[in-house]
Amino acid sequence: MRKSRFIRARNKRRSIRQKFDLQLTSMLDILVIILVFLLKTFAVSTNSFTTVPGIKIPITRSPDGPPDSLHLIVTPESMTFEDEKILEFVLEGTFPTDAEEANYEFKRNDLDEGGRRVLPLYDALMEAKDQSELLRARSKARDDEGNPLPFDGVLAIQADKRIHYDTLRKIMYTAATAGYKVFRFLAMKNE
Amino acid sequence: MLNRPSNRSKQKSKEQIQLNLVPMIDALITLIIFLLFTMSIINLASIETPVPMASSRINQSKLKQKPLQLTLTFRKNSIELWSPFNLIRKKTIHHNPDGEPNLYELHETVIEIKQRFPNEKQIVLVPHRRVNYDELVSVIDSVRHFESSDAPLFISDQKTGIDEVVEILFPEVVFGNLLGG
Repeated sequence: MRKSRFIRARNKRRSIRQKFDLQLTSMLDILVIILVFLLKTFAVSTNSFTTVPGIKIPITRSPDGPPDSLHLIVTPESMTFEDEKILEFVLEGTFPTDAEEANYEFKRNDLDEGGRRVLPLYDALMEAKDQSELLRARSKARDDEGNPLPFDGVLAIQADKRIHYDTLRKIMYTAATAGYKVFRFLAMKNE
Repeated sequence: MLNRPSNRSKQKSKEQIQLNLVPMIDALITLIIFLLFTMSIINLASIETPVPMASSRINQSKLKQKPLQLTLTFRKNSIELWSPFNLIRKKTIHHNPDGEPNLYELHETVIEIKQRFPNEKQIVLVPHRRVNYDELVSVIDSVRHFESSDAPLFISDQKTGIDEVVEILFPEVVFGNLLGG
């Protein structure tokens, strides 16, 4: 009796080995569903904004998604414009990333106009503005009077939530003097 | 021996055609990995504020009545809501004992002002230099957006005369002390 059970089990194993065929259709179904979901999500996000490690972004109830524009990132250590580091803040000692307060001290050489304008940022913004105006002048797109389309002057600011308004004001003042008319503060959507 | 013409097609259909799904799965997995790497995981939102502009003389002469120019002064320990033309009574909202701004009272006050001046869209923000960006964003949210528990507010369209629901309290947020230093 015991022997026959073993023989049956062995035969069963053998039969499984012989007939085993991986069912790929169900796997394909799952993959197609994932792909459709990802493609739909991908189509919604039209901007190319990235973030950097160590930055804590505030949360907002604003439902507006940010359209693509020139992008400034302000972390407790540095300022990055269009993926290029333009200045570093003066750090006093070691700065923990989870600290409640952040010290945004500019170097003396980086400020002018009585400490209101940030020079490296102004230079970077002017360069980006000139490039944009050059591209618009070369483009075939024209307004009703046949002139090149004007510079839109939008700056997206992605700043650490611990930044003080004093620093933010210096950034906005610098951008305003460089001809930028609209600021877009980026925050995490509250869902 | 050849089959009869009526039997030929039947015999062909009996042969099992197996679709090779492996390269298709390879392609799908590659696409999924690409999309996962390129899509933005963080769901970003934006708050738009224009640079304050000086109004021209023509506009000033056209103004028949004084504007509200609702101003929010954000101090270290309190928030003040006032109008330079004294169209509303100045209201001071003290921060909570934990030092956080009293967003509930601020929101209630802003709704009252909006009910009195439904056509007003702009609010001027004058924050203290040591105010955090996080607090600033939460205050902007309070003066811009309705809560789900708020009663709907209606405004009559001047052209059509139809009542429309107000979706944003004060959509235009302008920083008042930006250029002045």
